[in-house]
Amino acid sequence: MDSPIAQVLALIKELLDSLQAAVAPWLPSQQVPAYLAFALYVLMMLGGGLTAVGARNLVRAMMGLILTFLGVSGLYLLMASPFMAFMQLLIYVGAVCVLIFFAIMLTANVPGGQEAKLPGPGGALRGLAVFVAPLAVLGPLLVKHVPDLELALPEATPTSELGRGLIGEDVVPFELISIILLAAMAGAVFLAWRRRPEGRA
Amino acid sequence: MALSLAVFVQIIVAVLLVIGLMVGNAVVMVYVERKACGFIQRRPGPFEVGPRGLLQAVCDSMKLLGKQIFVPGNIDWPLHFLAPVVAFLPVLLLYLPIPFGPYLTSLQVDDGILLILAFAGLGAVSNILAGWSSNNKYGLLGAARAVAQSVAYEIPMIMALLAVIFMTGTMNLTTLVEGQGGWPWQWNIVRQPLACFIYVVCLVAETNRAPFDLPEAESELTAGFHTEYSGMGFALFFLSEYANMLLVSFVCAVFFLGGWRGPFLDGFWWTFAKAYAIMFFIVWIRWTFPRVRFDQLLNLNWKWLLPLSILNLWLTAVVVKLAN
Repeated sequence: MDSPIAQVLALIKELLDSLQAAVAPWLPSQQVPAYLAFALYVLMMLGGGLTAVGARNLVRAMMGLILTFLGVSGLYLLMASPFMAFMQLLIYVGAVCVLIFFAIMLTANVPGGQEAKLPGPGGALRGLAVFVAPLAVLGPLLVKHVPDLELALPEATPTSELGRGLIGEDVVPFELISIILLAAMAGAVFLAWRRRPEGRA
Repeated sequence: MALSLAVFVQIIVAVLLVIGLMVGNAVVMVYVERKACGFIQRRPGPFEVGPRGLLQAVCDSMKLLGKQIFVPGNIDWPLHFLAPVVAFLPVLLLYLPIPFGPYLTSLQVDDGILLILAFAGLGAVSNILAGWSSNNKYGLLGAARAVAQSVAYEIPMIMALLAVIFMTGTMNLTTLVEGQGGWPWQWNIVRQPLACFIYVVCLVAETNRAPFDLPEAESELTAGFHTEYSGMGFALFFLSEYANMLLVSFVCAVFFLGGWRGPFLDGFWWTFAKAYAIMFFIVWIRWTFPRVRFDQLLNLNWKWLLPLSILNLWLTAVVVKLAN
């Protein structure tokens, strides 16, 4: 353990820590970077959502969706659950979005690539109403209650504990979800199944 | 984790070193690839520029830097310019949890392998974007192939790694290395030979290398998804492809070949030696095997690798349960 490399590294770390302690009074508190990161992730999610809704072509809408997923996984990281964040990326960006692209490939090609029309004034108004309605319900509640809440800093849960929860107390919902997925998969196979002509492999 | 200046400096230094490694790796691998290809095909390979053609790769990169950037008409230009960036940026993150040596780890991440798998998924996204936004039929075909291939081969790859994770009970790459010994018979490859085999096959497919290089099959699709990229756009794809190859080789070295542990004198040189041995193996099979057909590629995955990896995972689970 006390090899020369380890000693040098420990020395550098000590130096940097003391430097940090020396400049700490002039720096903003440690919450500021967290707020900045939160703002960034929320902007990513909002921007991604707007792109996904407003884009006039499907691949750009999918890019908006990916941006939203990146923001969501960032929020998971802020809540100290890296496992959820990585799974969000692995499943939603790495698999679901890629499959959505596959589905887009199967749709008919539109010359000029403008697959959706922009909504008229009526549609825009209705969209705005749908956007504002949850805000009108949740916003006042948030403004009223959040300042009183004393939220503890999130603690990272080890992945093994998450796994134990899934096959322990939460085993029934976990298995139910897998049955739903199985039904969906069987349905997809049934829909896509077409008997091949005789004599062909 | 509280923010600390030490961690910050550590990450900055690590990212700079990784960029250096990526560029150096690409230059070295271009030379090695062309030279190895030459010897396998019984010709000398590059030998005009510099002693034994050593400066050939430098000339190639100079040519790429100075090249005019052609942009085809009717492209989706934001996505067209985004694609090489999406290919390049995640690679810097992917190297963070790799333990090169006992002290040479950019950042200790408990779910290190998950971080790598999660951000590697962005590689497929960049292929899609590149192929789709170029307004080119070859690009689009390449993108469609890249999608089917990367989604398919990701599954047995993860299952092969999961078998090792079941056995060792950790997703931290440093702990994985510490669990293995120095001598070859103490490595995970001895206890998980099938997982190692499946991982190596999937590694070649995931990095789009021959014989599984269908997304960029040059004899069918010109250059596949990056057909319409020239100059720096192409260079970024090229850099990230070689960086991805090196990354999966490092993961293989860490998971199956004992990482920095060696018979004598543990250190980062063992990790690098093992990773580059795998890199050479990838180059070797590229020039040895012909390209498979697309249906063969998918059949190999869904009918062989996937059942085998599930079987392996199941056997591992049973053995682990019995051993406890």
